[in-house]
Amino acid sequence: MTVVGRAWNRLSLPGKLFFTLAPLLLVTTIAVIAILVIFGQLIVDFLAANLPIVRFVVAVTAVLLMSVPTAFLIIYMEMKVIALMNLRLGPDRVGPYGSLLSVVHGLKVLMKEDFTPTGVDSIVFTLAPVVVYLASVMSLLVIPFAPGLFGQDLNVGLLYFFAVGGLSVVGLLMAGWSSFNKYSLLGGLRSAAQIISYEIPLTLSVVGVLILAGTMSLNQIVLDQRGSFLDWFAFKQPLGLLIFFIAATAEANRTPFDLTEADSEIVAGFATEYSGMRFGFFFFAEYVNVFIMSALIVSLFFGGWTAPFDWPWPVHIELNPGGLGIGLLILLAVAPVVGTLVLAAPFWVARSSMPAWQALIIGFVLLNLLIGLGLFALAFLGWEWVVGLFWFLGKTYGFVFTFVWMRGTLPRVRIDQLMGFAWKWLLPASLLNLFVTAGAVVVLGR
Amino acid sequence: MPPRPSSGTRSEQRLTAIWYVVGFAFAGVSFVFLTIGAAWLISHRNRGDLHKGLPYESGIDTYGDTHARFGLSFYIYALLFVAFDIEVVFIYLWAIAFRELLLGGFVSMLIFVAILLLGLAYAWRKGVLNWR
Repeated sequence: MTVVGRAWNRLSLPGKLFFTLAPLLLVTTIAVIAILVIFGQLIVDFLAANLPIVRFVVAVTAVLLMSVPTAFLIIYMEMKVIALMNLRLGPDRVGPYGSLLSVVHGLKVLMKEDFTPTGVDSIVFTLAPVVVYLASVMSLLVIPFAPGLFGQDLNVGLLYFFAVGGLSVVGLLMAGWSSFNKYSLLGGLRSAAQIISYEIPLTLSVVGVLILAGTMSLNQIVLDQRGSFLDWFAFKQPLGLLIFFIAATAEANRTPFDLTEADSEIVAGFATEYSGMRFGFFFFAEYVNVFIMSALIVSLFFGGWTAPFDWPWPVHIELNPGGLGIGLLILLAVAPVVGTLVLAAPFWVARSSMPAWQALIIGFVLLNLLIGLGLFALAFLGWEWVVGLFWFLGKTYGFVFTFVWMRGTLPRVRIDQLMGFAWKWLLPASLLNLFVTAGAVVVLGR
Repeated sequence: MPPRPSSGTRSEQRLTAIWYVVGFAFAGVSFVFLTIGAAWLISHRNRGDLHKGLPYESGIDTYGDTHARFGLSFYIYALLFVAFDIEVVFIYLWAIAFRELLLGGFVSMLIFVAILLLGLAYAWRKGVLNWR
């Protein structure tokens, strides 16, 4: 064995990873720079000539890839928040405060054995998670994240949303039927009955919003609520909001309406026979659904990406870095060192037991945080979509937290109560809401 | 040929929207299949014995026909759902155009919904809505 081989064997796993990835990254970077230098103009011309296609590709990739970290974040939120509500610690080993545990869960599911039991109809069995995942991800296409930041502004946006979201029933039935398991069949039929029953109040409760906004495009509905938070439809449609929230909880299979996977009654419902990545997609779809339902509540009733109030003192910052000339270079060279030292000094002075290098690391991290904060503030002032995205995600995760909170607090309802509630209470209430809104529009004439 | 902004752009927009939906569905399906395929490549597999492939029914071997007959209540809920979901589609279009219809639209929708509610009341009286 050569010297290189022996040295390679002595490395630990991270070391091996580093020495494999670093040269690869280096070569890729050089190649990309070379290609950009040689063909840069050509590429720019090509992209500019095909702008709609470029926008399509970017939008689709962004929305598809966005669903993965969203699901990870909500899974982590659920583990940690419910643990804290139960006075447990929750995940605290992987990453800071256990925040990487859901990523590890995702990787684990990816590497698990994907087993197909003997009795199943394997084609339908494989297609079922595809349909369920697609039904939830395709709804993301019409959600307006920020001004100018949306997949596509369909003029039938809301109808498209409910139509595509309703497809998940088909997927659940496919999963339940093809699994060749009585629990799965029962779970699939149950979830189908539950979801189609709650689909009616869900779709009827937004008719009031449609009458007020006069359009089904979600972008237009959000634009209609511009102004202060008093213009939000939540205050004009309180009954509609209540019905929509309850029905959305049932649609997303969340506690107290998670009868489809009531583990004390029917094992895991339609997902009993699933394992590996095919199970993973059911799991993903469930958490993406939570995000989508929160986003829809926010878009319809809480003003979407609009800010709840106007900032009373307009801020204008005129930055002209070029004006500094050679001073800019000196500033860029000096500022990080001075900043780190200044931020590290208090820790080093106040705690005599702390070694200097620890204080320096703390100072460096603090400096980076400050710079990040400053850049975010600049972007917040400069770009409208950053403001929009900030408010949209803030409100949406507020509702995601509410869903998690309900899971930590409420018990599961009985199935006969669940079905009776949808048909006997929510449906008449949503029709009442519809006619009260329509009557008010007729009487007030606007 | 001079451009016709009103009709031309609108149909073009609709076409773009349809292509977005189709392309998005295609991309989503390929994303799922790629991920499942990648998982299939990197995960270990073995066939196991007879009992590994049996359906999991609380530990005992499966008994009787799995695709057995099921309760009628599911079927009736599906029927009710179809009736009311089609109603919802009509109501959506009515809601969009409500600003022009006003009182006439209000009364006609009241009659339309009253007929459907008659059906719901009949189902309620018959005890269909009670889960059995």
